[in-house]
Amino acid sequence: MANQSGGVYGLTILSPIKDDPNSEVSPNLALRIYLAKLPRHRNSPFAKVSSTHFARLVVMDDVVYVGMPACEEHLQSKYLVFESNFDGDLDTYLERMAAEIPETVDAVWKHCVGFPGVADVAAFKAYMKKCQIETTFFFADVNDKTVQQTLRALQTQSAVTAFIVKHQGASPSELQAAFAHFMEKLNKAPLPAPAATLGKEFVDELA
Amino acid sequence: MSKLDPTDIQGFVLRGYTFPVARYLLLQIVPAGGREFIGKLIDQITTGERWDQGKPRTTVNVAFTFRGLKKLDLPEPSLQSFPCEFVQGMKARGAILCDTGLNSPDHWEPVWRDESVDAWLGVYAESLPELDRQCADLEKLMAGTNGAVVIGSQDAGVLVIEGKITTKEHFGFTDGFGNPDYVGVVRDTQPGQGKLMSNGSWAPLATGELMLGYADEAGELPVAPIPHLLANNSTFMVYRKMHQNVATFRKYLNEKGKLYSGGKEKLASKFIGRFRDGTPIEVSPDKCDPAVVANKQLNVNFKYGSDLDGVRCPIGAHVRRTNPRDAFGFDGKLVNRRRITRRGLPYGPHTPEDQPVSDADEHGLIFMVMNASIFRQFEFVQQQWIEYGNDARQGNDKDMLMGNHGGVGKFMIQGTADPANPPFVCGGLQNFVELRGGDYFWVPSITALRMIADNSVDPR
Amino acid sequence: MSNINGKAYAMNAITPMKPWKTWILRALLFIFAQAVKTSDLKKLSFIHFARWVIVPHRKFPRVSGEQPKENLQYDYLIFFSNFNGTWNQYIDAFSAVLSTGLDAIWWWSEKFPGAVPVTPFKDYIALVQFETDYYYDAYPHATTNDVKAAHRVKAALDELAAPSPNMSADEFAKSYLQFLTRVQGDLGATGEPPVGT
Repeated sequence: MANQSGGVYGLTILSPIKDDPNSEVSPNLALRIYLAKLPRHRNSPFAKVSSTHFARLVVMDDVVYVGMPACEEHLQSKYLVFESNFDGDLDTYLERMAAEIPETVDAVWKHCVGFPGVADVAAFKAYMKKCQIETTFFFADVNDKTVQQTLRALQTQSAVTAFIVKHQGASPSELQAAFAHFMEKLNKAPLPAPAATLGKEFVDELA
Repeated sequence: MSKLDPTDIQGFVLRGYTFPVARYLLLQIVPAGGREFIGKLIDQITTGERWDQGKPRTTVNVAFTFRGLKKLDLPEPSLQSFPCEFVQGMKARGAILCDTGLNSPDHWEPVWRDESVDAWLGVYAESLPELDRQCADLEKLMAGTNGAVVIGSQDAGVLVIEGKITTKEHFGFTDGFGNPDYVGVVRDTQPGQGKLMSNGSWAPLATGELMLGYADEAGELPVAPIPHLLANNSTFMVYRKMHQNVATFRKYLNEKGKLYSGGKEKLASKFIGRFRDGTPIEVSPDKCDPAVVANKQLNVNFKYGSDLDGVRCPIGAHVRRTNPRDAFGFDGKLVNRRRITRRGLPYGPHTPEDQPVSDADEHGLIFMVMNASIFRQFEFVQQQWIEYGNDARQGNDKDMLMGNHGGVGKFMIQGTADPANPPFVCGGLQNFVELRGGDYFWVPSITALRMIADNSVDPR
Repeated sequence: MSNINGKAYAMNAITPMKPWKTWILRALLFIFAQAVKTSDLKKLSFIHFARWVIVPHRKFPRVSGEQPKENLQYDYLIFFSNFNGTWNQYIDAFSAVLSTGLDAIWWWSEKFPGAVPVTPFKDYIALVQFETDYYYDAYPHATTNDVKAAHRVKAALDELAAPSPNMSADEFAKSYLQFLTRVQGDLGATGEPPVGT
């Protein structure tokens, strides 16, 4: 199934944006402004929909004119592109969006034609699926690990590196004792939050 | 491909001069007499022609920053067509080069920090008195034409150790291996200097990796200023004054050398990828082998394909980072446009290993790189392969000796269960090398020098 | 607005295709999806996730009668990539080693100049690329190389840890050394990326 690779789903949605000639700020401009201010990193709404590996929102103004002899043509509407790469199936993901980040979904998609809101989850899902474009070819370098498994692995990698540096040259009994202690702390360490700042909060104390 | 005309190319581009002493004169151009100075200088410029009549006693070469070119009345369309990294100059490129912290311009010598250098005169000589005489002649010429003023001067020279001329640098490593071969550049070819072909043989790189006006490895002409005649047979030079903290290095090597069961010299070899005598560890990982060092068929002739786990030469070792050869797969094609020609010389007197030494002592390397595209070659290697490690799958880890570590960071030495070659981590890395200044220069052809001197550069 | 989040770059590119060519592209992408070409993509190891999406000229989503109907003659190929490295580095690499695959996919797009040589190719990409307004990355401090290395380290650690409580100190030391030689190429630090160029 072309939208799926292993455990990862590649969602592509093109939602037509409203055209409102009477508004002071056109809907697509307003949407751009909203997206520019949307929090990034650990405060991103997509961190809450924590099955999201990568996601983007793009206001697509028009198709491109590549120059003669190609013909010039234009879109009648602008489109909001939503590209997301997440764990699991589409229904669950859309339900999570509706449940966990309803204000964000509303604030973004209210600029789009025919958006029914997020309160009626069935209508929301139907709307999103109507705007979905089938992915023709989806490439995933790693398609068998969830976001949480990846965050845990990255945390482990940092912690292990720190342990190795710290205990280089230790005697066997020192090493074994230190390792037991390390594993106990590592297993109790909280799972890092998605999109946390660039690596600094990891684990020197664990070693 | 077209035959090279070595009389039109500055010699320093085509060859590393083997002279014991050098002086780099840093000039400010005086617009009133600048072009007259260049015009009279041309006859003294050492070209790439062969020294069939015998080696000269001194050589002279010249290069310009973008600032300098502006003072020489080049027409605006020509000036605007130079590559943007050259126009900006090296100081402005600091974020890309990781010239931050201890390497930031705050720590540079004033002449570089203030971006006052318009031109570089590279003078090499067989002896100090001859060097002094040649430089004095050049200064007379500058004064006579009112064309330039010397605002700084950098002496450099081979390290003389126990009375013998060496090619060592201040950390004790033998330097100067592995400059690339280029099509049409006549030199002593050694297997391993060129690019790797799919049948396992080595071939010279496209001429356009070194000089403008020739096809490069991407099958096109490199970005070059207009008109063609101005750009042909020229190249770009990166000049960086690299101070070496010899005390910190020796202390670090001694301390870690005691902990590393392969011993101190083997540990040192793992940093660079060669023992300090020059033996490539990919060929001979356990001990020095003078026979290999002396053998031109062997001393740069190796690949990493059967050492992908790094147990002979660490994945992050310097020579492996800067020329991955076949380590990235794809028949080495990801490497061919990232090669550079190095023309460095140490500066400062040699301090023997058993003598006390301080980081404040004048010890360092004048690092000069020739390449057709500073952005695609030097800047790429510096940013992606020295100060970062993702392409080598080493994450954010930096080059052990050159990296701007700031006290954190590590270097992983891959090993085996053999106690003489254990896995070993060098943590708490210091800045063994600190940048003290530099800039980007353009090394024009002889024809271009004449055009500039005659003010006959016509962009279209 | 930025295309960059940590070590990842979000590229969007849209190119027009004459509809009769779309079928050829669909067939080629189907073949690539099964086979050989993805192994080169994985070997290059620059991309977390990427996708090619064909939007036929009549298939731009129309959700209500009030929305004007699109009136297009071209089909559009939209390409989305989440890749590591700088824009120049990424395109240089693809042009150098994957040009056949790139040509196979984009040849059907109007005015595509070919993936080699690289400068006209970069000019074309700059023409057809459009900017990302909002980009989310769940692990911005890690490239796909870092991610894969981390999974290998975790797997190795789990295997080291499981039997370790029942070992003698000497047995553990030996097991630990084996573990070290297994993970020693996968311990690169994660963190900030080099600046974009």
